[in-house]
Amino acid sequence: MDFKLTKEQELIQRTAREFAEKNLLPQVESIIEENRVPDAVIRDLKDLDLFALFMPEAYDGAGADYQSYVLVMEQIARICPAVAVIMSVNAVGLAAVEIFGTEAQKKTYLPPGCRGDGVLSFAFTEPGTGSDPKQITATATRKGDAYILNGTKRFITNASFAGPIIIIARETETGEVSGFIADKFCDGYAISEPWKKMGCQGAPLYDVYLKDLAVPAENRLGAPGKGFRILKVALALGKIGISAIFLGTMLAAYEEALRYAREKTHRGEPITKFQAIQMAIVDMAMKYEAARWMTYRIGYLADHAKDKGDILKDSAMAKIFVTETAVDLARIAVGVHGSYGLMKDYKVSQIWRDVIFGPQVEGVSHLLKVLVAGEILKG
Amino acid sequence: MNIILYSERPDLASELVTAGRAIMDICGGALQALTIDDDEQADFLAARGVSVHRVRSDQPSPADVAQLASAVHQTAVALEADMILLASNRRGRELAGRLAQKLGGGCLTDVGRFEVLDGRPAFSRNALGGAVEDVRCMETGKQVIALTPHSFAAAGVATGPGPVSDLPVRLSPSLVRLKETIRKGADAVDIEKADILVVVGQGIENKEDLTKAAQIARSLGAEVACTKPVATDRKWFSEERIIGLSGKRCKPRLALLLGVSGQVQFTVGIRDAGAIVAVNLDEKANIAYVADYLLVGDLKTLLPELVKRFSA
Amino acid sequence: MGFVVVSDHGKEEAMNIVVAMKQVPDLKMIRIRDRRPLLEDVPFMMGEIDRSALEAGAELREALKGKLIVLSAGTEPLEDTVKEALAAGADEAILILDEALRDGESALVAQVLAAALARMPDVGIILFGEGSADNYSGQVMARVAEILSWPQVGYAREIRIEGGVAQITRSLEDCEELLEVPLPVAVSVVAEIRQPKTPSVTGILRAGRKPKTLWTLADLNIGLNGGAPVRTISRLAPVSSRLGQVIGSVDELVEIVKAKRGPS
Repeated sequence: MDFKLTKEQELIQRTAREFAEKNLLPQVESIIEENRVPDAVIRDLKDLDLFALFMPEAYDGAGADYQSYVLVMEQIARICPAVAVIMSVNAVGLAAVEIFGTEAQKKTYLPPGCRGDGVLSFAFTEPGTGSDPKQITATATRKGDAYILNGTKRFITNASFAGPIIIIARETETGEVSGFIADKFCDGYAISEPWKKMGCQGAPLYDVYLKDLAVPAENRLGAPGKGFRILKVALALGKIGISAIFLGTMLAAYEEALRYAREKTHRGEPITKFQAIQMAIVDMAMKYEAARWMTYRIGYLADHAKDKGDILKDSAMAKIFVTETAVDLARIAVGVHGSYGLMKDYKVSQIWRDVIFGPQVEGVSHLLKVLVAGEILKG
Repeated sequence: MNIILYSERPDLASELVTAGRAIMDICGGALQALTIDDDEQADFLAARGVSVHRVRSDQPSPADVAQLASAVHQTAVALEADMILLASNRRGRELAGRLAQKLGGGCLTDVGRFEVLDGRPAFSRNALGGAVEDVRCMETGKQVIALTPHSFAAAGVATGPGPVSDLPVRLSPSLVRLKETIRKGADAVDIEKADILVVVGQGIENKEDLTKAAQIARSLGAEVACTKPVATDRKWFSEERIIGLSGKRCKPRLALLLGVSGQVQFTVGIRDAGAIVAVNLDEKANIAYVADYLLVGDLKTLLPELVKRFSA
Repeated sequence: MGFVVVSDHGKEEAMNIVVAMKQVPDLKMIRIRDRRPLLEDVPFMMGEIDRSALEAGAELREALKGKLIVLSAGTEPLEDTVKEALAAGADEAILILDEALRDGESALVAQVLAAALARMPDVGIILFGEGSADNYSGQVMARVAEILSWPQVGYAREIRIEGGVAQITRSLEDCEELLEVPLPVAVSVVAEIRQPKTPSVTGILRAGRKPKTLWTLADLNIGLNGGAPVRTISRLAPVSSRLGQVIGSVDELVEIVKAKRGPS
């Protein structure tokens, strides 16, 4: 067992940190204000090969691994979680195409996705049925050389970028669930206004409307009926990204609280002299540390799993723990700030609004616990 | 101990006279100064009561440190010097290494002070980025010591002038051609010499506040200096005004630090100030260690008030 | 226009650019206890100013048509530390590893680097930082130049190479000097010469696969006769004699400043 980063991992982490501090930090306010990440940010991420970490170089990825991906996402989210959310969803789309796609699909969709000029989106959740794969209502009807897709997908990230969207839909003929790669902004594809949400601004969520959207038959992802397999892999990998993102917000909250505690004086003494604050600092440090190793470990598991779907239980547990603990930690961090923690001038107030997204996205905690319980208790 | 001293700058050379005399007080011996193709400086130093050798080179090229080292080396050999004192400005530091190599001797640059240890001088300089101070002794017969500018008082005019003699040296042709010297224009300040300094740190976040800091400096009759990032990242000042390990070491009577967090790489440059007064919001722990008096508060609101109060 | 050095035979000759790197402890990680620095577990890194020198060197590569080689002398972790330079664009590394180099004593390091340079073919220029991040002594460049009988220029803010000649702007306290020096030359640079670039992920991943040559002191025929020329007697954190008094009001501050300012 070795808990040390390799020199390469250390340097990749530093590259992400330098990028986040030099490039993202000055723009965070305007990203939140405009609820939009400028294209230049994605271009700059690509220039440092941070945008598609674990994809092979042959497809314009960085050729690194999931462990590096986790380290990078943590550092990006520490400064601007929205950018990391866009990266995470793109990564899920890329992985799905790489694992299940045909060579032609890979050649078409992976390089632009890795470069950031064709950012991928992934559409699974629906308004009526939420994230229950068994109840998917979006339909795909075979008609000659094409599938005709209909339905509504809810809370979809990256839906406004040019680039493909992977849609999970039920084939009307067989009743089986399959995956499809559709190009956005063609006839039959429309999106809503972005949802007005309380945090993570910059990565807007949309509803996606599919109305007789024609997808060429060769754009079906994997064999017919492989939808659940695709979903299992996508969910397993998506939780790695989300865990790393909220690990990054934890780090940010902890650092903010620590800094404030050192600066703030009460009766001429820094408040770190008071035991109540000391306890809070230790609680935050422990929570971050526990979450950190759990997150890094699922990166390691993903690198070593032949079938990425196999790590779903572990990544779900990590995701539940990290996102719930991130909320706890942020609560403590706000507490350390006293009333100032509520003010927009203090970064911790934004972190508080961001951090609640963790347990509520990419499978809410309760749903995931049901899934994990099933895994633990089976046979 | 046979000591010779050299700096191209007369003011720094006169500080070396003071330091050299202090070393002689410890070890005994003789102190001699040398000037290179600079009769004016020779007279200046002789007036400080020190014996001066006017080195005459056959082909002077003051920008060529190899030649400079050769000239000082020949003189050191001729005068059988054990210790060569230089100023630790940029020219002096560059010369120090080459000269030490020629002499086969040890070398210390950026020496701020020395003490007596077993009857010989032990020199102090910063190490580990200023986190610690090393005390070091020389183990070689020949040694080169470069002293931080303004660590020692300049020698005053003596009652009787020291003797002046000429000393010719032979140099090989220079490989370095000086095409142009560009004076640093309006911003050529010497913050090392300032009695009062107003130091701007990263806690001053915009140019408006910077203007206010400058106003305060004017009211106090102070020079403005800054921490490294303010010059290198924000580019608000030229590098002339940087205080710290890779900048200047200053010892003003009073330093007013505005928005300075007090990282160790900075504090080594202000450690020797008379009184340090700081106004800061951030990182209380560090700056409290550095300052005599600390006002904790938001500079955005405090600066306008300070401007008003000091101009009154 | 790209410049190519022409040898006596009229054949085009590439010249290599060498950047000297010193591995330094991560200064931000050093803790002090009882005035003593705690260096265990403090990771090593490439000094910030060496990263600037490397960036400056990378720009000269085109003019010299040669390789960018990082040269460093130190102890074991150096093999890992040098990956920073290789990730940031150096083509290959030459490392001299020996326990005797632990203290990084200037005279010994200079001797080692000069011996290595003497064995490296076609070196046109060697770049150093103006001083190492930890000790900031700034001797090694000049010592190396002296051993090799090369010209030297310290505190370079700009370097251009054309026609086998380097045009270097030296930044001094009160002036700048524009100098012309033939190659090979030893140069130290100030941090302003170039901002260090953040290395890309693929650059980092390729670093470990770039050529690396390891030498020992014995390979360079360097014996350790006699002790170091300088002995460190003590190494302690300075004691602050500052009052560290928190004051409560602007009034108080104004009063103190006026009192300390003295008559003017």
